[in-house]
Amino acid sequence: MAQQTRVRSLDDPDVFVESPATIYDAVPPYPPRTEREAEFYHLRDGEMLINLGPQHPSTHGVLRVVLKIDGERVVDLDPVIGYLHRGVEKICENGTWHHAISNCDPLEYVASMFSEAMPVLACEKLLDLQVPRRAEYIRVLAWELNRIASHALFMGWLSLDLGGLTPILYGFIERDEIVEMLNALTGQRVLFNYLRIGGVNGDLNHDFMSRLGDWMSHAAEQVENQTKLINENEIFVGRTRGLGVVDRATALRMCATGPVLRATGIPYDIRRAHPYSVYNELEFDVPTREEGDSYARYLVHVDEIKQSIHIIDQVLHQMPDGTVMAKIPRWIRPRPGRAWVSIESPRGQYGAYVMSDGSDHPFRMRIRDPSFFNLSLVGHLMPGNLIADTMAIMASLDPVMGGIDK
Amino acid sequence: MSVLARPWSRLTPAGKVVLPLLGLLVFLTLALLVGFATGLIPGLIRFVGDLLGANIGIVRFVVAASAILLMSVPTAFVIIYMELKVIALMNLRLGPNRVGPWGSLHSIVHGLKVLGKEDFTPTGVDVPVFTLAPAVTFLAPVLGLLVLPFAPGLLGIDMNLALLYFFAVSGLSVLGLMMAGWSSFNKYSLLGGLRAAAQIISYEIPLTLAVVGVIMLAGTMSLNQIVMNQSGSILDWYMFKQPLGFVIFFIAATAEGNRTPFDLTEADSELVAGFATEYSGMRFGFFFFAEYVGVFILSALTTVLFLGGWNAPFDIDPVLNALGIRFDLALDLARLDVGLLFLLALGPVVGTLLIALPIWMLRSDWSFLKSLVIGFILLNVLLAAAVGVWLALSFEAVVGLGWFLVKTYFFVFLFVWMRATLPRVRIDQLMGFAWKWMLPASLVNLFVTALAIIVVSEVR
Repeated sequence: MAQQTRVRSLDDPDVFVESPATIYDAVPPYPPRTEREAEFYHLRDGEMLINLGPQHPSTHGVLRVVLKIDGERVVDLDPVIGYLHRGVEKICENGTWHHAISNCDPLEYVASMFSEAMPVLACEKLLDLQVPRRAEYIRVLAWELNRIASHALFMGWLSLDLGGLTPILYGFIERDEIVEMLNALTGQRVLFNYLRIGGVNGDLNHDFMSRLGDWMSHAAEQVENQTKLINENEIFVGRTRGLGVVDRATALRMCATGPVLRATGIPYDIRRAHPYSVYNELEFDVPTREEGDSYARYLVHVDEIKQSIHIIDQVLHQMPDGTVMAKIPRWIRPRPGRAWVSIESPRGQYGAYVMSDGSDHPFRMRIRDPSFFNLSLVGHLMPGNLIADTMAIMASLDPVMGGIDK
Repeated sequence: MSVLARPWSRLTPAGKVVLPLLGLLVFLTLALLVGFATGLIPGLIRFVGDLLGANIGIVRFVVAASAILLMSVPTAFVIIYMELKVIALMNLRLGPNRVGPWGSLHSIVHGLKVLGKEDFTPTGVDVPVFTLAPAVTFLAPVLGLLVLPFAPGLLGIDMNLALLYFFAVSGLSVLGLMMAGWSSFNKYSLLGGLRAAAQIISYEIPLTLAVVGVIMLAGTMSLNQIVMNQSGSILDWYMFKQPLGFVIFFIAATAEGNRTPFDLTEADSELVAGFATEYSGMRFGFFFFAEYVGVFILSALTTVLFLGGWNAPFDIDPVLNALGIRFDLALDLARLDVGLLFLLALGPVVGTLLIALPIWMLRSDWSFLKSLVIGFILLNVLLAAAVGVWLALSFEAVVGLGWFLVKTYFFVFLFVWMRATLPRVRIDQLMGFAWKWMLPASLVNLFVTALAIIVVSEVR
């Protein structure tokens, strides 16, 4: 800051000190380490730094973004991540394959059925294991339910960040029904720990099926009600249309996947492009939009909810009988080698590249989290927009910090 | 000293209260006796009476100012409760339901909690400005209450420039918000304060221009006179003569009161809490109350200007006359003589029993005591309703106040409804809307009104 201020000393509150970069500034208390840092923290006349997060109402977890603003306009930004870093990949190396499942659970804490699938699928690939068909169908059922829960929450968050109070609660009603349903199935509301190497933990039960039946009878109508409140809302459309436009080249170059990529018109969905589990037996569309803006991303999410309901309908009709666990040895030691698995999470391609050395624990596990790549688009999208738009852009990219910080 | 102090320390807390009160009572009795004996007190009363009578204007002002200060906080409480409950119901939640019946005392407890919180002044703030800002923000809408005509004859001051005064005073709130934003030593506050300045000043213009049409029609700026001009049928309300002006006024009032969708100054998803970020305790409470009193006065002003204030939408007397219903409620209790004593002694007992006995006989699972309690409560409710009806039929002002509050709270409800439904606009959309749409529309409204007045007068 140009003007220094006299502040209370942090060591002795009675003493006022003429502070260099005061504790109130977002400037780091050390000389710039890189050229980029030097450029970012050099303020021209009329610019100031504003610190968004990590404890800010709308940064979706503990993302910190230092914004360089000129009046209301964002000139530049510096995202700071790592506040939720747990070293999951390293933790996974130190436990058995079974431990990795529950360790990967909180990565994508909004839809943890997807992140916990990573070690499971990778280990099955290394074991060349054939999973029972009923287990595959139950997995698809759980995944699609969880996708709807995540997308319903997304719709609420987006409009909450735009200042609308009500849609978030409607979204939570939708999510709560699904989460209670999965609670009946798995015994957990958020971190399910349900998938097992070679199947799933427990067959469908009566509680789950009755809740699912209740929900299916009004699911489509509920989505319709929720979208009716915001889809045609003049203010909502005015705030999101034409905002944060990603073109196809940028989206591909930045490795964006999921709804962010599909909103630019590229129909890339792992379920269709590289079918896993039983998705090649199911019929569904890959919704896309051409515009690539926040509104298109929102509409893609809405369409995907409808497709997921369609998939659940088919799964329930085609559900085969049989066991839900393959016969596997209690002590799992896959062959030495490497495996790449990827699935379509609500946020895009969730992948894992796993190395095994033939022991009972993964030798190395690298997780590709779609939120990380989608969130890196903010550097392209935010400069030039207003402060209020940073929220709309960030919310429309739908990051989950658990997976970003790993 | 220690001799006196020892019994004092042995007293119970209740005794510590009662003993000084006893002393005070003895002192006052003695003083009164001496005062009357010497003729000092009657003289003093006469002197004060003459003084007040000679300065009746000042007395009226002091009474009015105290009254609006006293009513402003309960009004805010009512609107806060209403907002919590209505938004909760729209969100499919329960809302406040713990304190009092249906959570109706929630906002009072809320207010007490705010009072009990630490009043924190952060390092680096401009202390005098930081301290004054909540008071300025709170006083602006409260002073606006002074000129609102609540009912026939029930208004603080009948000013002939009331409307001008109202806009001048309520425009002061922007000063408080800017003071808060600037002095807080926080960038979120600063942005909030600057947004407040830009927004409120921009929307003052269409707000004021929309009212000029009403002023031209009414030929006066006295709010009381404007309401009286709208008496007569419902079609005399300016809402029907100034539809465009009414819409512009309501939208601009939303922006003026910092309400959703124009609540950019404290946009909680962008600026944390805007200008109020650094405030805590009762200072934050003042901002909170200011917002809700602001909602009330803007709703009330909309009612006064466009919905006929305390005028009833239809005249009930002809209907009652046509049906042959007449109320003759000239109560003369003195005529009852000794009967009044019997009425006071036996009325409650007989009434309670009359209500309680049927309940007791119908609900076999209730004890007689429970039926009695319920009967007593019901009797009180009935008596209160009867007194209310008697008041409404005897005094014009009560009916007027009722209609005024009904209309005002309808607009309060609209504000709350909008908050539950709409997202927030962006700052450039907000300013664009003010200057590109509201200002031209209000100018067109002004022009058409002026033209219509000339044409009508020419035709006549």
